[in-house]
Order: sequence, then C-alpha cells, then structure tokens
Amino acid sequence: MLGGTKLSFVAIAQWSAFLLVGLPLWIGHTAVFSWREPLIPIPIGYHEAIETPKAARRIEAVWSFAANEQGSAVVLPDGRCDIILRTHSNRPEQSTPIVTGPATQAYRVDYDAGDQWFGIRLRPEHGAALWQNDLGTARDSVFRGRAALDLLPALEALCGTQITLDALSHIISCQTWPIANPRLTRAVDILHASGGRLPIKDVAERVACTARHLNRLFRHNIGLSAKTYAQLVQFHRALRLITIGKLPIIAAAFEGGYADHAHMVRSFRRFGGFTPSNLPADLSLPNIFTK
Amino acid sequence: MKLAYTIIYVADVPRTVAFYEAAFGLRRRFIHESNLYGEMETGETILAFAGIEAAEMNGLAVLPNTSDGPAAAWEICFVTEDVATAYERALSQGCQPVSAPSEKPWGQTVSYVRDLDGCIVEIASPIAASA
Repeated sequence: MLGGTKLSFVAIAQWSAFLLVGLPLWIGHTAVFSWREPLIPIPIGYHEAIETPKAARRIEAVWSFAANEQGSAVVLPDGRCDIILRTHSNRPEQSTPIVTGPATQAYRVDYDAGDQWFGIRLRPEHGAALWQNDLGTARDSVFRGRAALDLLPALEALCGTQITLDALSHIISCQTWPIANPRLTRAVDILHASGGRLPIKDVAERVACTARHLNRLFRHNIGLSAKTYAQLVQFHRALRLITIGKLPIIAAAFEGGYADHAHMVRSFRRFGGFTPSNLPADLSLPNIFTK
Repeated sequence: MKLAYTIIYVADVPRTVAFYEAAFGLRRRFIHESNLYGEMETGETILAFAGIEAAEMNGLAVLPNTSDGPAAAWEICFVTEDVATAYERALSQGCQPVSAPSEKPWGQTVSYVRDLDGCIVEIASPIAASA
C-alpha cells in the first residue's frame, strides 16, 4: 500500500570513527604528525596513503526504525549486506535476526505500529566475510532466524535481550574478519566519487590492475560485478538528482551519465522497480557515503 | 556575482591543509571537525579543500585528482615577488616540478608544480601594472 506514514528513521553514519587526529605517520625513523604540528620536510617522491583506518572500518552505518503506525515502505538496494534484528515494542526481548545478502533489487516492507528494526549496514567489501562461501548465491537473499544465526552465531547472544545499536556494533567489531583489500576499497571510493560514470576499465587503471582482476575482487568480496555496483551507484545518484537536486528527468539522465533517457528508465526499473516519472511516495533512501 | 571560493576535492583534508601551509606558506583558517572541509587564509577569494566523499554528498560526480597521469585542466596560481624561493620551497615539501621559473616575454616570471594530489599550481610574479 503506497501512502504517507509517520516514520521515525534514524541512521547514524559511523564513518567518523577513525579520525586522523594526531595519527603519527612514520617515515623511516622520523615521526610526522598530520596537521596538528608543522610538517617535517617529506622527501620528494614519497607518497603515502593512510589505508589502515578506512580499511579497518567494517560498519558503514548503524540504523534503527520504529514504526508509529501501520504502513509499508520501499527499500532501495545498495549492494551492501545488512545485519538486522527485528522486534516489537510490546515484546522488546523477542527478536528475529535477519541477514541480507548484497542487495540489487528493491523490496517492500510491511509493518504494524510498534514494529522495530535495529540494523548494521556493512561496508560493501565485507560481504564475503559475512557470507563466505555462500557469497556467490547471496545476492538479494534474506536469511531469517536460524539461518541468520548460522551465518553469524554471535547474534544469538542478543536474541533474548533488550537490543541496542551499541551491542549490535560490538558484535561486528569482535568478528575476526580480514581487513578489506585496499585496492578494492579505493575502487569503491572512486566509483562513488565519480557517480558510477567511469567505465570499469578506467577505474581499474586508476587502481593499477586489469578490469578482469578488479571484477574478480568485486565478485569475491562484495558479491556483485564491478559494473553492477557502478550501475547501482549511478542509479542512486540519478534518483537524488531528481528528488533532492530537483532536476528535470532529461537533465538528470544527462548529468547522471546515462546514454539516453531509455537507459535511465531501464536502470530505475531494474534497481527500483519504478520509472523516473513515477517515484513511489514511500521510498527509503539509504545513505551511500564512501566512509 | 563574486568569486568567493575555489574548492578542491581531495582525499585527505587535514593532510592537504598542512601541505599547503608547508609548501606555499599559506595559513589555515580552520578545518571542520568532520575533517571534510578546510579553508586557507587567502583573502577575499578563499582557497578551500573538501573531502572527496563530500562530492557524492553534494550530488556531484567527479574524477578524483591524482598525481598519476595528466592533471585536470585547471590550475590555481599564486603570485609572489620571489618566485625562485617559492618554487624551491614547494619542491622541498614534495611538489612535483613541472616547469622551473622562467621569464616570459611580457615580463612575468612563471613556474609550475603539481601538488600532492596532482593539481597544477602556478607560482608567478605579479604582472606589472601598465603605465
């Protein structure tokens, strides 16, 4: 049912978790502090990219949603995996664990007054750590209950308790997941910065590998091809150009980097299930920030 | 309208602000606590740096600046009486040299470097006011 509803939707991006404040950068045996103190001269040709804080970041956002009244919402795909606990205000200690695979299709969520969700949205590179060997088939999957707990046993500890976002985040921080491939993280960042408009081979060139290798990194860690991921970014940007940027549809197609209006329509149908000129009133826009 | 800002999207705002202080002798005005925006003290037209993530937040699609390959097709230009010293200072702090100071037919001394993100920075002498 399409219709306006009162939602209290809280998304807190945890992307400021790792600030560069006072982080010492070791060059040989000379400590150089970023911005707090004057720099000691850096040798010409020395390049440094601070990978570790960003690469160690697993959580993109923590979010919660509490429904005040019955309703329904369209949730747009963002290529990421979410770990969710669904509960109800009448029974806060009974919760259903839910784990989603990398999403490429929109889906509708129906809810009643009192329904609550607490969720962690993972950085896309960590899909593989969560789904492991099942990543190849995890696309657009949703595991609930026992199936979700099999994937992430640590969730079980939360199931009989009052859920907090902190407790949920803590579970993720405790997982022994490997650090994300820095090349993949850079490629994801470039895709976001360029609005999904750069051809994959150009992205690959910018991160110094072949398109084929980059694709393998995407499939094995995110669970989507690089092209599909780029198209998702492009879709989200075009949607925001229309809804927030208030661009006319044709202008949005052009600035969005679509070959033509028909391509944009096809993209909106594929990822959203609607056309640009027929946006649902109850869209839930995830915040895709490269954090 | 007034040209109020030149804003460069960079990978690391605090690092770039510190770099511009060291390499070009600028002073910072402030860095926002998010580390996604910072301004230099450059008079009426502000030179500012924004985190590249902010491009997406602003609805932009940009090509990240990189020191690999050709630079983007724009430059910022600093004017100073002593180009040679400024040029040497820039290089000593890590700028890539592009063109050492040379005197042009119109009387201006011009040099080019690229900053740590590969952006073109010109360092030149003031153009003498015509009589």
